[in-house]
Amino acid sequence: MLSSRVPPTTHPRRYATAALAIVVLMVMLSVRLYDLQIVHGDEYRLLSEQNRILRLPVAAERGIIVDRNGVVLTRNLPGFSVSVIPIDLPVATQVALAERLGALLGREGKDVLSAIQLQRTQNPYEPVRLSLKPVPREVALALVERADAYPGVRVDADAIRSYVDGPLYSPILGYVGSITPEELDARREAGYLPDDAIGRTGVERVYERFLRGTYGWREIERDAAQREIQTLAHVPPKPGGNLVLTLDDRLQRILQKELDQGIAKDTFSQAVAIAMNPQNGEVLAMVSTPAYDNNIFVTGATSAQLRQIYTDTRHPLVNKAIGEIYPPGSTFKMVTGLSALSEGTATRNTVVNVTATSFTIAGTPFFDWTAHGSLDFVNGFAHSSDIYFYSLAAGSPMSNNPGVGPEAIAKYGRMLGFGAPTGIDLPGEASGIMPDPAWKQATFDEPWTIGNTYQEAIGQGFVAVTPLQLLNAYAAVANGGTLYAPHVLKQVNDLGGNATYVPKAEITRKLAIPSEQLRLLREAARRVVTIGHASMPNAKLPIAGKTGTAEFGASSGKDSAGRNLLGFHNWFVSFVPKADNTDPTAEIAMVIFTFDSSKTLCELCLNPAVAMTQRVYEAYLATPVKP
Amino acid sequence: MTSRSIALPRSATRRERPSARQLRQLDPLLLASSLLLICYGLVMTYSVTAEDRSFSGDPSEFVVRGAVFAALGIVLMLAVAFVDYSWLGTFAPVLYLVTLAALAVVLFIGVSVLGGQRWIPLAGQKIQVSELAKVLMVIVLAKWWADRHDRARSITTLGGALLLIVPPALLVYRQPDLGTSLVFIAIFFGIAFLAGARLWQLTALIAGAGAAFPLVWSLLKDYQRARLVAFLDPYADPQGAGWNIIQSLIAVGSGEATGKGLTAGTQSPLGYLPIAESDFVFAGLAEDLGYVGAVILFALYVVLLLAALRLALRARDPFGSLLAAGVVSMIAFQVVVNVGMAISLMPVTGIPLPFISHGGSSLLSICFALGVLQSVAMRREAGAAPRL
Repeated sequence: MLSSRVPPTTHPRRYATAALAIVVLMVMLSVRLYDLQIVHGDEYRLLSEQNRILRLPVAAERGIIVDRNGVVLTRNLPGFSVSVIPIDLPVATQVALAERLGALLGREGKDVLSAIQLQRTQNPYEPVRLSLKPVPREVALALVERADAYPGVRVDADAIRSYVDGPLYSPILGYVGSITPEELDARREAGYLPDDAIGRTGVERVYERFLRGTYGWREIERDAAQREIQTLAHVPPKPGGNLVLTLDDRLQRILQKELDQGIAKDTFSQAVAIAMNPQNGEVLAMVSTPAYDNNIFVTGATSAQLRQIYTDTRHPLVNKAIGEIYPPGSTFKMVTGLSALSEGTATRNTVVNVTATSFTIAGTPFFDWTAHGSLDFVNGFAHSSDIYFYSLAAGSPMSNNPGVGPEAIAKYGRMLGFGAPTGIDLPGEASGIMPDPAWKQATFDEPWTIGNTYQEAIGQGFVAVTPLQLLNAYAAVANGGTLYAPHVLKQVNDLGGNATYVPKAEITRKLAIPSEQLRLLREAARRVVTIGHASMPNAKLPIAGKTGTAEFGASSGKDSAGRNLLGFHNWFVSFVPKADNTDPTAEIAMVIFTFDSSKTLCELCLNPAVAMTQRVYEAYLATPVKP
Repeated sequence: MTSRSIALPRSATRRERPSARQLRQLDPLLLASSLLLICYGLVMTYSVTAEDRSFSGDPSEFVVRGAVFAALGIVLMLAVAFVDYSWLGTFAPVLYLVTLAALAVVLFIGVSVLGGQRWIPLAGQKIQVSELAKVLMVIVLAKWWADRHDRARSITTLGGALLLIVPPALLVYRQPDLGTSLVFIAIFFGIAFLAGARLWQLTALIAGAGAAFPLVWSLLKDYQRARLVAFLDPYADPQGAGWNIIQSLIAVGSGEATGKGLTAGTQSPLGYLPIAESDFVFAGLAEDLGYVGAVILFALYVVLLLAALRLALRARDPFGSLLAAGVVSMIAFQVVVNVGMAISLMPVTGIPLPFISHGGSSLLSICFALGVLQSVAMRREAGAAPRL
C-alpha cells in the first residue's frame, strides 16, 4: 500500500487565479454583449433589416398631356434605367465597374464613379440612377444577364418622356429633367427621390403636382448574394393624372405652318401666334417660333445641340408669347381710344382733319403715314391715323380736342391688363411696361413730355407688351368687358378619363368701361378689315382686328443687302364675332406677331400677319369647333 | 516515463463493472453542465440550419448528424470515465507519436475545405484530426509535467514541454489552421502555469513571442493579415475583409435582449453570416436567443470550467490535476476566442465554440476529454481536496 500520497497540486492559488480569470473573462464578454445587444441593439436590428430588406420604389407613371380633343401631345415610351445600390458594390471594384458602366451608358467613367461615391456618403442603401438617358434594351439585357459581373447594379423599367411634336409645343409644355439636390431637399417630404424627374418649365412644371403620381413600394428580402428571396410587401404606385389642355392641336398646327412658311420665305425671322376663346380665357393655340425640341433635354442634350440653342439670338428657349415684351404699335390705339371715350374727351363723332402727314410741336415733327383728311373715330381707327390718336391723347394743331392725357391712358391700359402679368398658368411671364409720367420720373428721373404722350398713344416709346397681354385686352373688348386670366389647362383626368380637377375660368376684372364704348371699338375693329388698314380680299368671316407696326425704321442701320436691321415688327390682333355685327359674341380671338418683318425691302408692304390671320381663321373655322 | 508516477488505485486494480457507487463518484456539476451544453449545441444546430431558406437538400441532415454525434459523445464520455486515466498516461509517448503522425498525414492526404487542409476521410466521415490532437496534447503535456511535479520550477521542464508542443503546433499551422495551433499554445501555457512553472519564465516566453511578432507577421498568409487589419478597422473594407466582422456584429447586436427567436434569425439563413453553424455559431446564437441566451451559455461554461478546476484540486495525483488544467485551458481559450471573434474583441480565427459549433470531431474530442475528467473525478480521494 502506498504510504504517502502525492498531493494533486502544490499550487492551489494558481487554480484559484485561473478560476478568477475565467470568471473575469466571461464577465468581460458579457459586458461587451450588453453593449452590443442591449445598449445598441436597436441600431443593429435596423442594420440587419437594411441588410436583408430592400425597399425599392416603384415609379408611378407620369400623366400624359392631350389637347382639348384628346390628341396626345406627350406620352411615355417604355425604356430602361440603370442604377447602383452602393452598399452592394464592393469599394475595391467600384472604379473598374464605373468605367465599364460608363462605357455602356455613354458617360465618363469618372462621372459615374463620383455619382456612386456621393450616394455612398449619403445613403448607400438607396439606389442612385446612373443612366442619364433611357438605356437600350440590348444594354439592359446584357446587364441583367451578367449580374454577377455588375454587383449592386439594378436595371429597372423606366418610362421615357416623349414629346410628340417637340418644337411645336415646347414653349407650352416645357420638359422634365432630373431633380437637383437643392430641389430634392425642399421636396423630400413630398415623396421625391434622388432619381426623380421633375417638370423643369412649362406645363410640366406648373402642373407637376397633377402629372406626377405617387411612388409605390416593393419590399424584397435578399440574401447575401443579392438574390431576391421573396417580396415582403408591395404597394402599387398611383399614376399621375392626365392633363387635358385647352389647346386645339389642329389650330396649333395651322398656325405653326403659317409661321414656318413666313420664316422659310424670310418674310420675318421670328413669330408668335396665340388664339384664345374670349368668352372664358381658354388658350386655343400658342406658337412661339423658332422654338426648341424639348425631347433633347429628356434624353440628354449634346453640347452641340445646347450650343446651337444658347447661341441662337432668337432665344428659342423663351416662350415669346409671354416671355418677351415688344412695342404694341398701332394696336395700342384701342387703349387710347377707349380712355378718351370713357373719360368723355371724345365720342364716336369726334373729328380730326388730318390735312398733312405731320405737324410740329416745339420744333419736333410728328408724322402720320398719309394725309387722311377728315376722320371720325371709326375711320381714324380703321385707317390707323396716328394724328387722329395724337389728338385724342394730347390734342394737336389739327384738332380742338383737349386730349385725355397720359395718366388716363395708363389707367385704362392697366385696366386692360397691360403692365402686369395676365396670370396665365405658364411660368416665365413678363409684366410689360405701362408708362405714365410718374413712371418716367421714377425710372429715368426725367419729366414726361407731350412727345411721350403722342408716342404712347400709338403704342411706341416706352410702352411694351407681351403678345398675350395684347390678345387678352382685345379679348376683353370682344367679350363685352371681362378680362380673364388666360389658361391652358382644361381639366385633369384620372386613368378612367373622369375629371378630377377642372379649373374655374378666372376673371381678373370687369372693365369699368361703358359697354357702348366697347361696342364702338368692336365696330371700329371690324372697319379696320372692311374699309381700312387690314384688307382681306374675299373674306368669308366677319373678322375684326387691328394692325400694328412696332417701328424702328432705319434708325438701327441697314444690313449689306440694304435692309433695315431692326425694321418693323408687325402685329395683327383680331377676333371673329359669330355674325357680322358688333355683339360681344366672338369665341375666338387671335394675335399674330411677326418679328423683323421688314426683311423685304418694301417698308410699306402689307402687314404679313393680316393675310396669315385670314388664312388661319378660314382654315380653322371651316370645320366646326368643339366647345 | 518512470514507473513511480503510475500510482495504481485500488478501484482500477479490481477491474469491477461500474456500480451505482462509482456512478455517484461522477462529478455532478461537470456532468450536468456538459450534458446541457451538448443539448444547447444541438438546439443551435437545429436553429441555424432549419432557418436556412436557401439551403438545398435535407434540412434535417445537420440536426440528425448532430444528434448522432451527441449520443456518441455522451456514450464515449461515460465509457472513458470508467477507464482509469492513468492508462492514458502510460501511453502518453505513443499518443504523442500518433498525434504527430496523424497531423503529418493530414498535410499529405487531407481533404481541403474552404482553403484549409484539415480533414482525413475515415469510414465515410471526415475526421478533423487536429480536434483530437488537442486533447491528446493535453494528455501528453499533463503527463510530462506530472512526472516532473517536483521539478516544475526547472527551466528544463518548461523547455521540454515547449519542445513537445512546437511540432504539432507547426504541423497544424501548416494546414493552415492558425486557430488550432493557438489552442495548442494555450494548452501549453495553461498546464505550465497550473503545474507551477516559474512565472518569470512564462512571462519571458510570452515576451519573446511578442518580440517575434514581426517575424510571425511575415509568416502569416495574406488572408490572415487581412483579418488582423480588418479586426482593427472592419469598416475599412466592409464588403471584403471586414464583412464577416460587421455581419457578425449585426447578428449579435440585432438579437437584442431576448433574441429574434429560434430559427427566426435573418443574418445566417440569408448568407450574411458566414459559416454560421461552426465558426460564427455564437453570432447566430446571440441573434436567435439574444443576451439572455448568450449569458445562459456563458453561465454553463463557467460552471463547467470551475467544476473542472475544483476537480483538479481534488484529483488523486498531479496527472489527474493537470489533465483538468489542460482541458480547462483548451475549452476556456476556445470560448473566449470564438466569442471574442463574434463580438469583435478578437481577430477572426477559425476556432470552434466547444459544444455549440457543429462538428463531430470537435464534439467527440471534447466528450473524450470530459470523459477523462470524469475518470479523474471517479478516482479522487474523498476528503483529500485542499481547501481553496
